[in-house]
Amino acid sequence: HAAAPVDLKISHQFPGGTLTEGDFRDRLCRVFAAEVEKRTNGALKGTVFPGSSLMKTNAQFSALRKGALDMSLYPLSYAGGEVPEVNIGLMPGVVTNYEQGTAWKSAPVGKVLADLLMDKGIKIVSWIWQAGGVAGRSTPLVEPADAKGMKVRGGSREMDMVLKAAGAAVISLPSNEIYAAMQTGALDAAMTSSTSLISFRLEEVAKTLTTGRGKAYWFMLEPLLISRSIFEGLPKDMQDVIMTVGAEMEKFGTEAAKVDDQDVARIYAKAGAQVSDLSADTVKRWQDIARETAWKDYAARSDSCAKILKLAEQAL
Amino acid sequence: MSATLVGSLYGVATLLLMFSGMPIAFALGGVAVAFMYFFMPGASLDTVTQNVYEEMASITLLSIPLFILKGAAIGKSRAGADLYGAIHAWMHRIPGGLGIANVFACAVFAAMAGSSPATCSAIGSAGIPEMRMRGYSPGFAAGIIAAGGTLGILLPPSITMILFAVAAEQSLGRLFLAGIFPGLLLVALFSAYAVWKFKREYAAALATWHGGGHKSAYLDEMTLTFAEKTRLLPRVMPFVILLTGVMVALYGGYATPSETAGLGGILALVLIASIYGMWRPRDLAPILASTIRESTMLMFIIGMSLLYSYVMSYLQISQSAAQWIVGMHLSKWVLLTAILVLVVVLGFFLPPVSIILMTAPIILPPLKAAGFDLVWFGVVMTIVMEMGLIHPPVGLNIFVIKNVAPDIPLKDVLWGVMPFVGLMILAVVLLCLFPGIAVWLPDAVMGAKTV
Amino acid sequence: MSHAAPPEAALDPTGPGLLARTARLMAWINKAVMGLSMLAIVAAALILTGSVVLRYFLKIPTDWQDEAAVFLLVGLTFMCGAAVQAGRGHIGIQALAGLLPAGVNRLRLLVCDAASGGFCAFFSWKSWTLFHEALADGQTTSSSWGPPLWIPYGLMATGMTLLSLQIVLQVAAALAAWRRP
Ligand code: NA
Ligand code: NA
Repeated sequence: HAAAPVDLKISHQFPGGTLTEGDFRDRLCRVFAAEVEKRTNGALKGTVFPGSSLMKTNAQFSALRKGALDMSLYPLSYAGGEVPEVNIGLMPGVVTNYEQGTAWKSAPVGKVLADLLMDKGIKIVSWIWQAGGVAGRSTPLVEPADAKGMKVRGGSREMDMVLKAAGAAVISLPSNEIYAAMQTGALDAAMTSSTSLISFRLEEVAKTLTTGRGKAYWFMLEPLLISRSIFEGLPKDMQDVIMTVGAEMEKFGTEAAKVDDQDVARIYAKAGAQVSDLSADTVKRWQDIARETAWKDYAARSDSCAKILKLAEQAL
Repeated sequence: MSATLVGSLYGVATLLLMFSGMPIAFALGGVAVAFMYFFMPGASLDTVTQNVYEEMASITLLSIPLFILKGAAIGKSRAGADLYGAIHAWMHRIPGGLGIANVFACAVFAAMAGSSPATCSAIGSAGIPEMRMRGYSPGFAAGIIAAGGTLGILLPPSITMILFAVAAEQSLGRLFLAGIFPGLLLVALFSAYAVWKFKREYAAALATWHGGGHKSAYLDEMTLTFAEKTRLLPRVMPFVILLTGVMVALYGGYATPSETAGLGGILALVLIASIYGMWRPRDLAPILASTIRESTMLMFIIGMSLLYSYVMSYLQISQSAAQWIVGMHLSKWVLLTAILVLVVVLGFFLPPVSIILMTAPIILPPLKAAGFDLVWFGVVMTIVMEMGLIHPPVGLNIFVIKNVAPDIPLKDVLWGVMPFVGLMILAVVLLCLFPGIAVWLPDAVMGAKTV
Repeated sequence: MSHAAPPEAALDPTGPGLLARTARLMAWINKAVMGLSMLAIVAAALILTGSVVLRYFLKIPTDWQDEAAVFLLVGLTFMCGAAVQAGRGHIGIQALAGLLPAGVNRLRLLVCDAASGGFCAFFSWKSWTLFHEALADGQTTSSSWGPPLWIPYGLMATGMTLLSLQIVLQVAAALAAWRRP
């Protein structure tokens, strides 16, 4: 007589799809759930709640900490107000390509970050990094100098700082209002991940795109997380399966993110947008501004922030 | 316990509490917390308040109080009376003219606001008293405003369409355009009904009077010369200025949708201050107080219904129902019907925002596979959810009406809105027969949809 | 769904006794909160209007306005919960009110109020826990402005507490009225 299967609730904010179709961040969760179920012969299952259908993005982090939510695929920097250290997850210029991001897991910076999250009651299952770009309404936003006078949505505390230093009129608005604001002209440019640039369908209202393919100053850490108390309540063999499958998902995530970096360029070009890529020099120029603004601000917040930044710079 | 059983219990408990007369907000919150206690991990109870806060702390949602402020500034000042006076002077020869004017006013306001209760409140605070003063029966007046208000989510901008576009990975621009003609279709249907109903009520009033009964305000003669009528025209100016100002700010790219809400509120206050000299605290206090009372009531219900839907989502009640329907592998149109019936049932308890979040991920893939255009379906689903706004137990627009005109008995309001529910069903049927009503405009503007 | 006759007959604010004194205090608080909330809603509208002017005409970043408006509007919503309850403005479906005999109806209303009070008290408790967490951990929002979260949480907790007290007061009044012939 087998015990009732453990059903892990996996929440995320991205559009829902199926195992094989749709936003890769949703697919990743579904593949993870299916693999885990297969390898435990159904003793461990996962149910995916896409599109914030369970709870709002910001509420997920705290729910994970308290053990009210099992798992989440979560843009880590969203919890920056609760745990300032995690702002490193969307720090402009601190990661500039996928290889650097992938290396974090086994580098000192990754170890410190993972330990910190463990202390807060959350365990990282998969390290997923994703590049992003800029959709522009009329003129391209490639160089920092282009930002002057543009109404831009940076989407994170750190990106906003860099944009302000570059002379942009930073604007804060919910991500679901980007389309309408760009259509009317309330917004000149918006920065977000390649996948979201696709799913928001901004190509219909944008005339320019700056991609993150190859190299970028906009890289986001959106790991698959599990609540520590839930994880530790599971038998050892289930824990092992979760971590093994989680590690396998990292390759899946990186490959899919890279595909989206290419797809976004293709889709926007097809819609008639002017597509630009970033040169190493351009990335460096953005990075230089970030170093003077966002990085400094971050390091000044606490000793542990300063330490994480230092380790991240070593990984660069 | 199976999701079906828990789901049934959840529904029954909700109905019991609601019909006991407990305030809707506390009934929803109470049921949610109780089910959390019995069926969810203990830690869930610690996340209740943060969940509610995170759901409410969105500027998109909180633009509702500001839209209500804009409506109240006009509706509760002389601006509203003057506006309706002028409209009545010009349109009283048309049967149901005032009713039609109110439907149009709702449509115009809907083009500025993304939510239905805000639209309903803004037009209703002046519109309902004006119609009743001129003889319209309370239920008729309430029905026009409750139904007209639902256009808030069908005509762009619309909070629920934004959510649908993201969930369905459809173009928001296309979806907004697709809502326009169906919105106008509803305006036409509502107006036609207003004319028909007016004629009936007028005839009944006439019969009563001739039979020696009291003389309804319907029968008051209005004799104005053309010059007198022309002199009334400037009185619509505050409304026209407000409308133009807000539209230019929104569609001209000056303001984001939520900023538009604040801007509209300030513009309305400035207008009544400059034109009617209403700027002293004692002039403004009644307007602000009623705005705050109404939005507090409404935001409490919305906040708690989001908590309610969190529990429902966690227990996978609506997801299981949707999955069950999808799992039956129905034929194309039966599948559509079953899904729409589900949306109607969920509409008994949930506001449109929650319905989309919970069901879209499950119902959209099979609908797409069955060959339905999801932009078209987004419009159809929006109209079906509009019905939920005007039928009990959780019908946000009905609560707004109860607040704007507390003396109209619930029974009258319900009988008043029923014909409009019928007209919405008719609109859905017409959309099924002639999908072009929705998809023609986006195709014409944005080119045929590529798959 | 009509507003039922409130059982507040015993809440004569001019009368003597603890209940009346508490009612007086509560009415005064509600009035003060309402006054402040009127300023808050106008302030929220002004901030959003100013945001348009600053960004569009002066090209100045507007990254704090949305959040400031959110704090004001969420705050006033919770803070005014009690004032609205005092006027029985939280709408319910009073379909049974007309069908039941007067005595049973009073009992029904009392039970509804007690249940509402229970829920609101629970919510207040959990809001204060949240407030305490945010204060102790120095939590902020994650925007570039990053204002402390204890502000809105504190408003939510205070507002829900006032609302609970308001309901307790109404229940006490109903019980007092019951005892009198
Ligand atoms: Na609208
Ligand atoms: Na309903």
